[in-house]
Formats: sequence, structure tokens, C-alpha cells
Amino acid sequence: MTDSKIRIRLIQVSMFAVIFVAWFIATETESVSNLFLPKLGDVATDFRDLIGSGDAWSPLSVTLFELVVAFFNAVVFGTSIGYLVSRSKFLMRAFEPMFSSMFAVPLIIFYPLALLFFGLGPGSKIAIGSALGFFPVVLNTINGFGHVDAGYMRVARSMGAKGFPMFRRVLLPAALPIILTGYRIGFILCFLSIVGGETIGSFSGLGHQIVYYAESMLTSMMFAYIIFIVIIAYILNSLVFYMERKGNYY
Amino acid sequence: MQQTSAITRNANEGSEIAIHAGNVTHIFGSDTDAQQVTALDDISIDVFKGELLCLIGPSGCGKSTLLNIMGGLIDPTRGDVQVGAAKVAGPMPHDVAFVFQESALFPWSTVVDNVIVALEFQGVPKEERSARAWNALEAVDLADFGNHYPGQISGGMKQRAQLARALSLETEILLMDEPFGALDEQTRMILGEDLSVMLSKTDKTIVFVTHSLAEAVFLADRVAVMSARPGKFKEIIEVGEGHPRDPDFMLSEKFGKMRNDLYGMLHDEIRKAVDGENAQT
Amino acid sequence: MAIDGENRAAKAPADVASGAAAIIQVPTESWFRTPAATRVGVILLIVLFWEFGARIYNDPDFMAPATQSLVSLFEIVQDVEVLTAIYDMFWQLAVAFAMSLVAGLMLGMAVGISRPTYRTFFPIILMVYAFPQITVLPLLVLMFGIGPAIKVVFGFTHGFFPIIVNVIAGAQNINPALLTAAKSMGASRSQIYRRIVFPHLVPSLFTGMRLGMTATLLGIILAELYATRKGIGYFTSFYAESFEPHNLFALVTMIATAAIILNELLRRAETRFGRWRG
Repeated sequence: MTDSKIRIRLIQVSMFAVIFVAWFIATETESVSNLFLPKLGDVATDFRDLIGSGDAWSPLSVTLFELVVAFFNAVVFGTSIGYLVSRSKFLMRAFEPMFSSMFAVPLIIFYPLALLFFGLGPGSKIAIGSALGFFPVVLNTINGFGHVDAGYMRVARSMGAKGFPMFRRVLLPAALPIILTGYRIGFILCFLSIVGGETIGSFSGLGHQIVYYAESMLTSMMFAYIIFIVIIAYILNSLVFYMERKGNYY
Repeated sequence: MQQTSAITRNANEGSEIAIHAGNVTHIFGSDTDAQQVTALDDISIDVFKGELLCLIGPSGCGKSTLLNIMGGLIDPTRGDVQVGAAKVAGPMPHDVAFVFQESALFPWSTVVDNVIVALEFQGVPKEERSARAWNALEAVDLADFGNHYPGQISGGMKQRAQLARALSLETEILLMDEPFGALDEQTRMILGEDLSVMLSKTDKTIVFVTHSLAEAVFLADRVAVMSARPGKFKEIIEVGEGHPRDPDFMLSEKFGKMRNDLYGMLHDEIRKAVDGENAQT
Repeated sequence: MAIDGENRAAKAPADVASGAAAIIQVPTESWFRTPAATRVGVILLIVLFWEFGARIYNDPDFMAPATQSLVSLFEIVQDVEVLTAIYDMFWQLAVAFAMSLVAGLMLGMAVGISRPTYRTFFPIILMVYAFPQITVLPLLVLMFGIGPAIKVVFGFTHGFFPIIVNVIAGAQNINPALLTAAKSMGASRSQIYRRIVFPHLVPSLFTGMRLGMTATLLGIILAELYATRKGIGYFTSFYAESFEPHNLFALVTMIATAAIILNELLRRAETRFGRWRG
């Protein structure tokens, strides 16, 4: 490693070390109430228990179930509608700005509506997750299919391509990188909105666990769950990034 | 496959007509469009079987449009186009193959897969595709790079790959739209010589669009000079040299004179084209 | 990232005129065939679907037709508590956004200006940006209570990151030749910041501001929905729980429209200030 790289790493590591140490001192001496910041040792113990006892499995499976269904909806609807819109310049000019504007709204405000229709169960989380995940997928699908380099299509046409072979051999591979990016962003939004929905109103799922322990003032357990969610989020994001890169030919 | 090396291709003596374009007019945009453009104005030409016809002219004169019309990619506003005996009504993958300047190889497939997919589009049976593809790559000396991606090979190699793909389709006619336009001069020279050698070994009909005067004289049997937009034919020159062309042909007096004649014809048209552009802006 | 829609220029008037003129002939350029008309048409269709769907479904506890919701819109806007809640939301939005802007801009310039600081701190900033903030909301509520403070704080933590990331990206993209030229002419540090760095940052800053505004609003709404005692979030829950869906629909529609308008304003500002980038 070069000199400057070492220095950079050193600074970064020391930043974390400082936070760590400060936390440790503050919590051990109780200068900050343990209701706000629990002792590091307690968090570690609770986290270990969490993993070991398998208590985390049930809420995790609820959240994952909601995530899978919501993402599936977002992909199916977003991709099909996006493809159909991309088939005509007129439709693209009509709908792309519309979807774009709708995407600018924090769609989570519709969550109370979802709670009204679907109750506190997984249904409302799936609804809000599908709604939020839909937009990046549809926008990127429109963009991907709608802006395929005309040169590729011209040359394919000259060789006799049309219909399904044209779609399979030209449109789809050309559009795939952009569409996969849309899937990645949609997936992340699904995840965040679902955990958010579980926090705001739910009786199950990972988000709900955090609320439960917060309200019970069992802060170290709450932190254990926060760490757990961050790890799950990291794993899921890495998976999704990896799949996106696989489809990218640039 | 005839050996026509030292024989002058005298195209006017009772040769068959490969492509016939009669009174072709093409207008882009509707009548209410402010940006309506007449690309071609009542233009006619016959391309003879086995010849290499060069289309040369100032920017925007419609040479690419004419090429696309010949190949069935564009329907002309008026006029009739025939390939052989048949009227042109759309792309003719069995009769006509294109080579373009850019964006013609699919970056998501390897070089050999690019050729194979072309054969798939044309309708060649699956078992034959791979062999034909590799043969075509061998013919242009690219067999070592068949499994590379277009992004990994040079510009000259990409154009050779495109040529291989076009050749693999085994069409009678090759339409080439400034295929060497994006390449540096040295690569252009080499590829031009290779094309001439290839020509001598086949009896393909080639229509070749270019900006380069030297390239036109070196490669063509006939050079058709187009005027500034709206495109009409100003003159058609016969080069009268056999294929394969000796690289030394470029140093000959005959070559120089033809090139200068072309220059004279084109200079005014280029001026007109540029002034026309300036007037619009 | 998904691209933004094109600039919807006001085509309608010109097309109506040519449409009127063309009535005698075949109407080729009538307004009814523009993309804008399609959008209006789709929105009308959705509203009609809402209207009749709700009437057919006919469960007033859960569903209210569009017309009824529109009427409620006028009614709730006269409710003092609702008005206060709306006023509070925008006030909190302004404060949180201002904080995000100042902090994001200052820290962003500091980090983005030099390569070493960029390489040291940008990865950390990105890491924190990727952290799912919603998990920390209950903790923050424990610390800040359920008054306006938590909303401003959560709005700030959401709005800060898009701004700082875009400012840093903008700063990093400044042509180093410009900085060298300025230094060779004897410019002081503050002069360099004011005359070169800052103007070049403006387009990226506006992008960051647009994203930051949306994010700040998101943070405030999340905090409201979770920590309700008064506020828009409270009212949405209230109307939902008291089975007055027409009020709920009205409120949600209003906020959504406001968000769209805000975003559109910022997008135009972004285009206008980013023009020199071509």
C-alpha cells in the first residue's frame, strides 16, 4: 500500500475507534443513560442470544416474505407496463414524465391508506412495498427499451430480424443493464418501505421488533435487532449489486 | 467465382442490372413540418452485376439515404427500386447485406456470436451456423478473435468483423455505408487493399458510400458523384482498372488525374452544402 | 438511475390554435393528440375509476368516492387543527431543509475540494448514507420525544446526505487546470472558493437540493407517521381509524400534490442553473 493509502486507512479506522471508545466510556460511566445508549457488552450478549436462540427467524421470515411478494409485483407490473409504454414515442412522452413526477412524492404518505385497506398484517407492507418498488422499475424499463440504439435495430432489420427474434437478440440484451439497475433500486426501496411500514404499524416483522423493544425500554435488545437488520440489508444489497453487474456488458 | 483480375470491368456492355433505382425522390417530414427536407430529387441509376459502384458527394447529399432505399430499409416517397427482377418492398436479407460505419456489432455478444446471430436472422439452419461463422472470420483473418467482445478489439477489427458477418450471409449484393469512415488513414488503406483483393475473388455487386476521394478512385469501377442536397447525380465516371488493384495504382498519373477531376466536381457542391447549412442556422 | 422526464414545455396553447384552424380540414395537430392530453386523459380516467369504483364498492367506512373527497378537502382545510398541522409540516420542512443545505454545502465543499479528503471521508459518508435510518427512528423518538424536534431531526438526517454527496461529486469534477490557473494568479483560498469552486458546484448543488427536498419531506412524514400526537401523520391515522376515508383521501391527495409541485419547481431550477453544462 502506498503512503497516502495507509494514512487514509488510519484516519478512517481511528474515526471508528474514537466513536467506539466514546460510546464505551459514556455507557460504562452512565453519563448517558443506558436507556438511550446501552452498554456495548449488553448489546453483544443480546445479539449473540438473538442469533443463537433463533428468535430472529420468525420476524425475519415475515419481512422476507413481504419483500419477495412486493418485489415480484414491482418487477412484473413495472417491466410489463414499462415495455408496453416503450413501444411508442407518443406513449413514452405521455407517461414518462407522469411516472417521474409521481416518483418524486414520498409515497409512504399513502401508507395509512394501505393500513385502512389491508390492516396491520403483511398485506399493507406488501402493498406499500410494491407501490414504491414499481416506479424505479417502470421508469428504467421505459428508458432501457425505449432508447435502444437505433443502429442496432437497423442492422438487425437489414438481416431479416423482426418480432420475437428482434426482441430476444437485440432489444432485451441492449436494455438489460438499465433494467437491472431499475430492479436494484426498486429492491432497495421495497426493503426500506417494508421495514418502515413494520415500524409504523405492524404486529410482526423486523421493523416491529425494533418498536417493541424500544417501547419496552429494552434498548440493548433493540440495538441487537438494528445490527441484525443492517447485516441483512447488507447481504441483500450485495446480492442485488452482484446480479446487476452480471448483466452489464460494458 | 470468376477470375476477373486483369480484365477491365466494362460495365456498360450488356451486363445484368443488379439494382435499379428509377426516378427516386425521398422527402423527410410531412408537408406541414417546418423541418421538411428533400433528400433525393428524381434520381435514377442502375448498378450492374459484379461492379463496385462508389457514391460520393458532400455531407447531407442523400447518399446514405439512397443506400438505405436500395437495401429496402427505407421506402422512397416516390420512384421505383428493383433488386434483380423483384420490386423492393422491405429488407431482403437473402439478397442484400449491409456494412455500416458504427453501432453495427452487438456489444453484448462475442464477435463470432455476432456472426451467428446474423445467420439466425437470415434463417440459416442451426447446424450450419457455427461453421459458416468461423469460416467467414477466417476469411478476414479474425479467427483468433472470435471469442472476444467488440469492446475488446480495435476499430479496424470491428469493421473486419462486420465484413465477415456480411460475407457469411452469402448475398449477391453488399451495401457499404462509409465502412472505413471512423478509422485512421493507415487502417483505411490496408482495409481498402484487402477489399479490392476480396472483390477479385468474388462476383459480388457492391455499392460503396464514402467521403474519401482517394478511396473512391482506388476501389471503384464507377464513381457516381452526387450534388448537394437535394441529391441528384452530377456525373458518373468510369475508372477502368481491374481488380485486385495494385497499391501502386495510387501513385499513377491516371489516379491523380481522376482524383483531381473528382475534387473539382465536388468542391463546388461541398461549398454549396456548407453554405446551405450556415444559411439555416 | 431512472431518468427524469423531459421538460414539459407549454405546447398546449399553440396546438389548440392550430387545432382550431384545422377543424375545417383534417385535424392533424389538434391538442387532443399531444402527450399532455394523454396524461390528462389518464388522470381523468383514474379519477372516474375512483369515483365509480368507490360508489359500487359502497362501504363508506373504507372507501370514499372522488367527489366526496374533494368536498372534504374544502372542509378539512377549514379545520384549525388541520391547518396548524399543515403549517407545522412546512415550517419543519423549511428548518430541516435549511439545516441540511448549510451542513451539506459546507461539509461537502470541505471534503470535496481535495483528493485526499475525498478519499478519506467519502467512503464513510456513503456507508452512513446506505444505513437504513428507519431502524433508528424509535431510538430517536426515545431521545427527542414526539414533538416537532424529532421531525426536524429526522428530516435533517434524511435531507443531509443527498446534498453532501452531490456537492462532493460536483467539487470533484472541477477541472484542476482552473484551480491551478487561479493559484498561479495569486488567488487566496477564500477567493478560490467564492469565484471558482462555488459557481461550478451550482448545478450539482441543485440536483442535491432537489433530491434532498424529497428526502427531507420523507423523513418528516416518517417521523410523523410513527410519532403521532399532532401533525399530518396524526390526522391521517385519525381519519383512518375513525373511518372517515374521505378526509384521509383528501389529505393524502393534498400532500402528494404539494410534493409534486415542490419537486417540479426544483427540477426547473436545476435545469436552468445547470444550463452551462450542456
